[in-house]
Amino acid sequence: MSKDCDSTMDRLSLYLDRELSEPEMRQVRVHLDDCPPCGKIFDFQAELKRLVRKECCTDDAPTRLREWVRKLAAQDPIQP
Amino acid sequence: MSGDFSGFEQHVDALYRSALRLTRKPEDAQDLVQETYLRAFRYRNRFTPGTNEKAWLFTIMTNAFRNRGRQHRVIEEPIDEPANDHYIYDQLRREGLPLHLMSPEQVIVDRGFGDEVKRALEDLPLPMRMVVVLVDVEEFSYKEVAAILGIKIGTVMSRLHRGRRALQKRLWDYAERPRSSRVAVGSS
Repeated sequence: MSKDCDSTMDRLSLYLDRELSEPEMRQVRVHLDDCPPCGKIFDFQAELKRLVRKECCTDDAPTRLREWVRKLAAQDPIQP
Repeated sequence: MSGDFSGFEQHVDALYRSALRLTRKPEDAQDLVQETYLRAFRYRNRFTPGTNEKAWLFTIMTNAFRNRGRQHRVIEEPIDEPANDHYIYDQLRREGLPLHLMSPEQVIVDRGFGDEVKRALEDLPLPMRMVVVLVDVEEFSYKEVAAILGIKIGTVMSRLHRGRRALQKRLWDYAERPRSSRVAVGSS
C-alpha cells in the first residue's frame, strides 16, 4: 500500500459519488488506472452502487396513484 | 405559475419507490406519496420555479414521513466508524478468489447479491436508509441530501459510509444463507 493508495481509498466514495473537485477527480482516476488493486475495489463499489439503483428502480408508481396525481395537477386553480 | 405543478407529476415514480423503501408497505407508500403531493399542491406558491423540484418534493416527503414516525422515535445506532465500506470485496478476497481475473458484474450475479437488495435496504436503520436511498437510488448530491434532511454534510457522509457497509454486510449474509431458507424467509 503506497501513500497514493491510502489517499485514493480515503476518497473512493467521494470519487464514486462525483463529490470531488475536478483536479481531485483526475488525481483519483489516474491512480485507479495505474493501480489494479485499487481499481478493482473501485469497480466492485461502482457495480454495487449500480446494482442498488437498478433493483430499486423496478418499482413504478401504481396506475391509480399516477392518475390521482395527474388529476390533482390538472385541477390547479391558480389563475390570476 | 399554474402550469408549474404539472411538472411535479414526473417525479411520482421516484417518490413512490423511495416511499416504499421507507415505509416497506405499498399501501403506506401510496399514502405517503399522496400526502406529499397534497402538501406540495397546497404550498406550490412557495416553490421557486426553475429550482430543483425533485429535491423540494423529497424534502416534503421525508418531513411528512418523519412526522408520522414521531410516536416511535428512531434511535440512532451507536457510532462505530468502520474502516472502509467495501465489505463484500474484503470478504471475497478473504476467500482467496482471483478477483483480478473476475468481472465484478459476474461475481455479483453469480453470488446472488442482487436477489435481496430491497430487503437488505429496508433492514437498515432509518437514518442510514434515508441517506443511502437519496444518494444511491435517487442520485442526489451530498449537499442536496443535507438540505432535504436538514442535517450537516458530514452527517450525510458518515451515514452513507456506515449505511453502505451495513448494506453490503446484509447482502453478503443473505447470499451466504442456504437457498431453501432464503426462499422460506422471502415468501413469508
